[in-house]
Amino acid sequence: MNKKIQFTLNGKSVSREAATHRLLLDLLRDEIGATGTKEGCGTGDCGACTVFLNGQPVNSCLVLSGELDGADVVTIEGLKIGPELHPIQKTFLQDGGAQCGYCTPGMLMMSKALLDENPNPTEDDIRYALSGNLCRCTGYAKIIQAVQDAAAILRAKSA
Amino acid sequence: MAELTVVGKPVQRVDAEEKITGQAVYGYDLVLPNMLYGKTLFSTKAHAKIKRINTDKAKQLPGVVAVVTGEAVPWTHGESVKDKPFLAQGKVRFIGEPVAAVAAEDEDIAQAAVKLIEVDYEDLPVYTDPEEACKPGCIEIHEGFAKYRKAEFVVQGAMPNVAEHFKLRTGNVEQGFQESDLVLEERYFVPIIQHAAMEPHSAHAQFDKESGRLTIWVANDAPFRALHEITEALGMPKEKIRFINPLQGGGFGSKGGLKVEPIAVALAFHTNGRPVRVKFNREETFISTLTRHEAVVYSKSGVKKDGTLMAREMTIYWGAGAYAEKSPTVCIRGSLPAPGPYRIPHVKVDGYAVYTNKPVAGSYRGYGIPQGAWAGEQQMDEIAKRLGMDPVDIRMKNIFVEGDTSYWGEQLHAVGLKETLVKATEAIDWGKKPSNVRPGVKIGKGFACIQKPTRSPTTSAAGVVVNAKGEVTVLAGTVEIGQGCNTILSQVAAEELKVPMEKVHMHQLDTDVIPFDASTTSSRSTYHMGNAVRRASIHAREQIMEAASPMLEAGVKDLDYADGKVFLKDQPQQALPIGEVVRRKLGINGEVRGDGSYTYEIGKDLDIETGHSDHASAFYMYATQAAEVAVDEDSGRVRVLRMSAAHDVGKAINPLNCVAQIEGGVVMGIGSALHEEMVIDKSGKVRNPSFLDYHLATSLDIPELISIVVECAEPEGPYGAKGLGEPGLAPTPAAIGNAVADATGVRVYDLPLKPENVYWAIQNKKKKTAA
Repeated sequence: MNKKIQFTLNGKSVSREAATHRLLLDLLRDEIGATGTKEGCGTGDCGACTVFLNGQPVNSCLVLSGELDGADVVTIEGLKIGPELHPIQKTFLQDGGAQCGYCTPGMLMMSKALLDENPNPTEDDIRYALSGNLCRCTGYAKIIQAVQDAAAILRAKSA
Repeated sequence: MAELTVVGKPVQRVDAEEKITGQAVYGYDLVLPNMLYGKTLFSTKAHAKIKRINTDKAKQLPGVVAVVTGEAVPWTHGESVKDKPFLAQGKVRFIGEPVAAVAAEDEDIAQAAVKLIEVDYEDLPVYTDPEEACKPGCIEIHEGFAKYRKAEFVVQGAMPNVAEHFKLRTGNVEQGFQESDLVLEERYFVPIIQHAAMEPHSAHAQFDKESGRLTIWVANDAPFRALHEITEALGMPKEKIRFINPLQGGGFGSKGGLKVEPIAVALAFHTNGRPVRVKFNREETFISTLTRHEAVVYSKSGVKKDGTLMAREMTIYWGAGAYAEKSPTVCIRGSLPAPGPYRIPHVKVDGYAVYTNKPVAGSYRGYGIPQGAWAGEQQMDEIAKRLGMDPVDIRMKNIFVEGDTSYWGEQLHAVGLKETLVKATEAIDWGKKPSNVRPGVKIGKGFACIQKPTRSPTTSAAGVVVNAKGEVTVLAGTVEIGQGCNTILSQVAAEELKVPMEKVHMHQLDTDVIPFDASTTSSRSTYHMGNAVRRASIHAREQIMEAASPMLEAGVKDLDYADGKVFLKDQPQQALPIGEVVRRKLGINGEVRGDGSYTYEIGKDLDIETGHSDHASAFYMYATQAAEVAVDEDSGRVRVLRMSAAHDVGKAINPLNCVAQIEGGVVMGIGSALHEEMVIDKSGKVRNPSFLDYHLATSLDIPELISIVVECAEPEGPYGAKGLGEPGLAPTPAAIGNAVADATGVRVYDLPLKPENVYWAIQNKKKKTAA
């Protein structure tokens, strides 16, 4: 069944006809062409497809298009602040948080969710927050480092 | 050598920015204009004859463009044995084998059509244990094996279902055991695991009837080999086939060879020129792509009282799964160094690659080394324990050092093993007895050493183009799979042309324009492609100096080169930037192209009867990893507290990248040590084909990681470099196994060290002690 939906994607209004059972993930990737959000499992186990839905981090492979009418969606393509990289993007660059890069968009979105909620996370806080985001390349150490460094930058800014 | 300006420096990854902004396009992301969606029907039987396939209903579904079965595509492929059909022909050999495929206007229609295909099977005996599948009386899973086309080095075994029998014979092991004071024999087991690259598998294909050209878009880590295999299978001329590599989201060995590619190609011939995309979802990736070889390893060692190794005999059954894929070479190159990096006068190894009715085993980061090390390195510790020696001392007594002749007859050079052993063990305070934290939790330490060869002989070629703006483009067939090759190769070009990193660009991998490269496997790229890019850069520089000679009115010998400029030796202010030289010589659109290639010529092929070779590998990588673990004796749960990893890389072209490779490898190794296991039941069905049930290491599972880079230069390598990608996970399970034994006094022989395995090993020992 198709349904007309209107939602906000990275600050811009999107309106389209979509099958209600179409996953947000597939809608983004195959229909809208926003392939920054990655598909790693399609079953909510790996976190690669993490996006913000109404301000909350979700696995976009577990969200149906039918639920999207009126929603606010932010993806990796909307993480920059204007032309500037978000601090978490900067520290991923600097610390080597990305290798193959496939888990990276999801990692960044989940890291931002953590930092939005907790500007001063401990290492354990970071490990727990990212425990649903799988990475096969880095061994996580550099990712944890990048989140710590981004937290420091954000704290310095708000001080 | 002039001082290095970029090589050896901790340069930031060149491909990171597109990855952190979501701009990077991977194979799985690709949407082509007018594309059709492919879906695959997989076998639900592990071993059966196909009696009938009915595709009528599927074909009639509106929106379906093509339905293909094995009948339509009577081709086979395989790296060393041409045993695998594009789609099953006449029989199926594992659950997950592609049987038919559909191309349709959208994914839902394709999936619905797949469900309408009817297949009748007639069951055959199912073999899930490699040790059992080669016993007399078993039927052949490949009844036509003898007739398959195969590589010259493939030696069929005398027993059923043996696709390769590797033999190593040195000295006389019986005599060695007789001369020993202690002889130990044990059976070890390593289960099937999967690469689980975060990007699942996919392939896109398009066949243009008018030009007769077939184009395949796929994140394949060996596009030239894939091109060759498709060419051979289809009997099409090479010029008619083109591979384009989008970015690859991890590989670890899983993305070489052909898996989704044959399905996409089969469909592309029936879609009237429209491109077709075939994506495997995670479950399909688990059951239908590649796995790491399970291995049953029997290891028998003889040793003198003072710890001198006298003899080692190993028999290894490598579970190949349903098709040979890379099993013959995994069997050869995994079995050869399995007795360990030690001087042993008497050695006998028999490696058997055995077909089973399980998913296909292929290359996996480490290429057979982890399996041998799990057995050999734990046995080294057992020997030390029986002799009352420190595990460090027994290894120091026997370990390979510079100039030693290995038991396969090769004189070794650039051996940094001892340094890795010393540094890795020091890093976890070896010798200091850790204090137990609380009752029931035991702390222990252990380590393991490995030596890993690389695929040899092989070739890499590269082009380096300098344009009139002084921008440099590198044409190299090494695939950026996350390992950082684009950064390393850019550093090499920047070093030789003395230009800033920002001036260097990597050309997209397209077999129409990129020079040949053997593969992005076996930790071979930095060495082979590094040499090729270095030579191509020097070639470009030489041409530029030639061209600059009349412009500066001086002979080439009076010119020098630095900072991207050619200048007069005695008047350095008389200088021309390289872009300016190109522009003056060839105009604003001019380009100077340097070419370079590197081939490692092997000394002698491995002798089929003895396994001997005077030069079996272009170089050897050495490593030692040491673990400190905590074992909860009440639950059997093992936690790794800290892990050091010392790797001899020859020369660290990028120290940051070396640490990245080591950390990633170690954590992958910890996963394989503690919880990874593809559970396959007696019917051949994978019981845990999801990330919910197949436990990868998460951010909660990692210990303190101590990465140590050792540089024992390889004279033939670029700037002394060897390789690093694979060894990161190779000694990890054995190091952890040794630490668990140190903590508990109990040896666990079967991986993974999951709580129930460890718990029962402890309980059984308690029972024995009580009795």
